Amino acid sequence: MLLFMLPFLSNAQTRQMTTGEVAAFQQSLKRSAQIKTLSADFVQYKHMSFVKQPITSSGKIYLKQPDRLSWSYTAPFQYKMVFRDHKIFIDDQGKKKTMDIGKSKQFEKISRLVSSSMRGSVYDEKEFSVSYFKKGEVSVLKLLPKSNDTKKYIKEIVLVFSSNDTQVEEVTLVEPSNDYTRFILKNRKVNAQINDSVFNL
Amino acid sequence: MIRFLIYSSFVFLSLGSCRSYQYPNAVGIRESHQQELNNYYVDSTHTYVYRSQIQAFGKDVHGNLVIRTIAPDVHRVALLSDFGQTLFDVSIFPDRYVLHAAMADLNKKMLVKEVVRIFRTLTERRYAQQALIFMDKQHYPVYTVDDRFYSMEERHLARIAVAQSGRERFVISFVDVQGKLPKEVAIEHRKYPFVMQFTLDKKQSVL
Repeated sequence: MLLFMLPFLSNAQTRQMTTGEVAAFQQSLKRSAQIKTLSADFVQYKHMSFVKQPITSSGKIYLKQPDRLSWSYTAPFQYKMVFRDHKIFIDDQGKKKTMDIGKSKQFEKISRLVSSSMRGSVYDEKEFSVSYFKKGEVSVLKLLPKSNDTKKYIKEIVLVFSSNDTQVEEVTLVEPSNDYTRFILKNRKVNAQINDSVFNL
Repeated sequence: MIRFLIYSSFVFLSLGSCRSYQYPNAVGIRESHQQELNNYYVDSTHTYVYRSQIQAFGKDVHGNLVIRTIAPDVHRVALLSDFGQTLFDVSIFPDRYVLHAAMADLNKKMLVKEVVRIFRTLTERRYAQQALIFMDKQHYPVYTVDDRFYSMEERHLARIAVAQSGRERFVISFVDVQGKLPKEVAIEHRKYPFVMQFTLDKKQSVL
């Protein structure tokens, strides 16, 4: 955890939010919770203690409330997943498959956690202990799961919010081993029209 | 015919270490000069990243396989899912292993042991002094050491079959070997519904 938190802790400008700042930030989160659609490009960095360079991949994400998610990798490989109607549709470089979510609950749980983090709706205080930080103008949330089931997979989630529009621009999932995956979101579009064909495979 | 029976008996006795496993079309074992087998993952300056597709017990998992050679006979191997979750992360030594991480659902002793056995076979350099004799002339040699059978093709290792209790336990195939490194690796378990395919990601590997 220390290793992961180093970028935050070592920076003198990172500090805990004041009570007033937390209240103002929570207000902005309520506005974020009204997200109906989200599209963004993402870059994913998987950091492991024994590898110098992170494993990097990038792609595009589309979210549409209440339960549609399209997650596609475009580099270094082509691979698309669509979560819809309690199923996972996969297009692996032209090879198409369908899986029942029931067969892969843990996979679905992780994907939901990632996508809801990006949407900014994961910090339910019943499920997570939430700490609020400021790093310059940027707001940082640190979430520690409360349930033992979630703790098996995730040690900590860190969300970094854009100072411009208070939307999530970075998500880090720290595993119990302290290896972590960082998602950087770019070109975010909130509540723009998303064609349903994006969720068809 | 007598010659065949002698060879057959010899195979039966010689392959005693893997009980009655009979390698297809093999009729005996011959001594060979010492042969180095599987030197794909011996360079300790290298980290190998493969794109992975795993079908296991009716589930599909895509992600990455990361192999870092710590020393020629020590490897750190990690299997990752998409979204970056670590499925397994283990250091493999010739006679033991250290499990650094395993996803909760997969952290079962028998499963971890089998995964280690597979990846030890994949990464371990071995030396053989015995090769199989075949009834018909065989273009490529098959060397054997312990319970493993190493098939060579055009001077590179193409396949490792691991036997146990008279049957193939799992088979590792190396495809499209370029620059002393397979671009593709396929692993098929013969006992369990478990298939893995790996495609080298040269850009992310440190070679």
